[in-house]
Amino acid sequence: MEHNKLSRTPLPRIFLISSGEEDPDHNIRLAMQLSRLPRSISCMVQIREKQLDSRQLLALAQEVRNIELPEDTLLLVNERVDIALAASLDGVHLPESACSPDKLRPIAPKLIFGCSVHSQKSLSIAEESGADYLLFGPVFDTPSKRRYGAPQGIEKLGELCRATKLPVFALGGITPDSASRCMEAGAYGIAALSIFQDPSRFVETIEQFHHIISP
Amino acid sequence: MIPSPPFLCVITDEALCPVSLAEKALEGGAAMIQLRHKSASGSQLYSWAIEIVNLTKRYNALCIINDRVDIAMASRADGVHLGQQDMPALVARKILDKYTIIGVSTSSIEEAIQAEKDGADYIGFGHIYPTSSKEKGYPPLGPKALQEVSKQISLPIVAIGGVSLYNAALLLSCGASGVAIISGVSRAVDPSLATRKLVSAINKRDS
Repeated sequence: MEHNKLSRTPLPRIFLISSGEEDPDHNIRLAMQLSRLPRSISCMVQIREKQLDSRQLLALAQEVRNIELPEDTLLLVNERVDIALAASLDGVHLPESACSPDKLRPIAPKLIFGCSVHSQKSLSIAEESGADYLLFGPVFDTPSKRRYGAPQGIEKLGELCRATKLPVFALGGITPDSASRCMEAGAYGIAALSIFQDPSRFVETIEQFHHIISP
Repeated sequence: MIPSPPFLCVITDEALCPVSLAEKALEGGAAMIQLRHKSASGSQLYSWAIEIVNLTKRYNALCIINDRVDIAMASRADGVHLGQQDMPALVARKILDKYTIIGVSTSSIEEAIQAEKDGADYIGFGHIYPTSSKEKGYPPLGPKALQEVSKQISLPIVAIGGVSLYNAALLLSCGASGVAIISGVSRAVDPSLATRKLVSAINKRDS
């Protein structure tokens, strides 16, 4: 199966991250939400469910893979290259504590590898080890990221974007209103967890973001 | 290839540095080291795996990684060990080459038969005796259950749970190819000596 979409098309600019909630129905909610993605809008989708054991995570990844998604949607899983390979996902998102892409690419040459960066140091590591994109945050204050410390702010986002040629996704408290400021600061796209949680506004929110950040 | 029986597998202890424990166990004659550390980060696990793979090569032993098939692949470990909450062996086999060892933890005849069907290379079976190393939700299976399971499957069986100098030889007589141990080695005053004594106990059973 070919899933090396990176070489064919640019990355989507909207990056959905699953919430990792301790909720027995969460998997179903995630699958239902994804099946409602507007056909014309492609997204990066990261399955980030640290509370699941490996077998549950694999089952979820396989389930999500089987959903009919808009063309050019890229499915990623947090950290686990083995899960990505087993479920034929498109890539892996690596937190700063994960193994670096250069160690992992030899076992999965077709996957996209993205890295979370929170500092100049982690930026250098991600660049030198061959990351395909970067995720930077929290840019603004957000409940889901509060434990990672104070917001980094739009200026830091701008500095990072100027310091790298890699696509940077801005994460953390981003709303359709603030998305344009992130794009002006040099972000390639925006990433979010919480704002996509409200099922009644899901499609509307995606469309708003799409409208604002499409070049 | 899994080690020829009888062999000793030492599993690393969350509370101690896995690399130094592995080195001591290898000095003592362990044939298999399983790197098991559920709370370590991916990068930490990877660097430990690289170090332990180097050590096991030097001692002509095997390095097996618990749960993380990707870390096993990236570190070129000899195999993976999968629990019932980990990736099924059947799926792991699809992303691994045929030479990579797959072990599966089992605690019933049904799970053992399933592991064999799924293409596992060995099974862990236990816990045989009471153990403090892991929280268990069920009573010890006892050596009799080991005897039963060894009649039902042809895969090598590694007995685990409360293994000691006093019962190791019995477990081999009950059909185990090897025994696995955590705290009996990791919590010993001299882990290297504790390993050596166990290795000698399992090799003495026929004499």
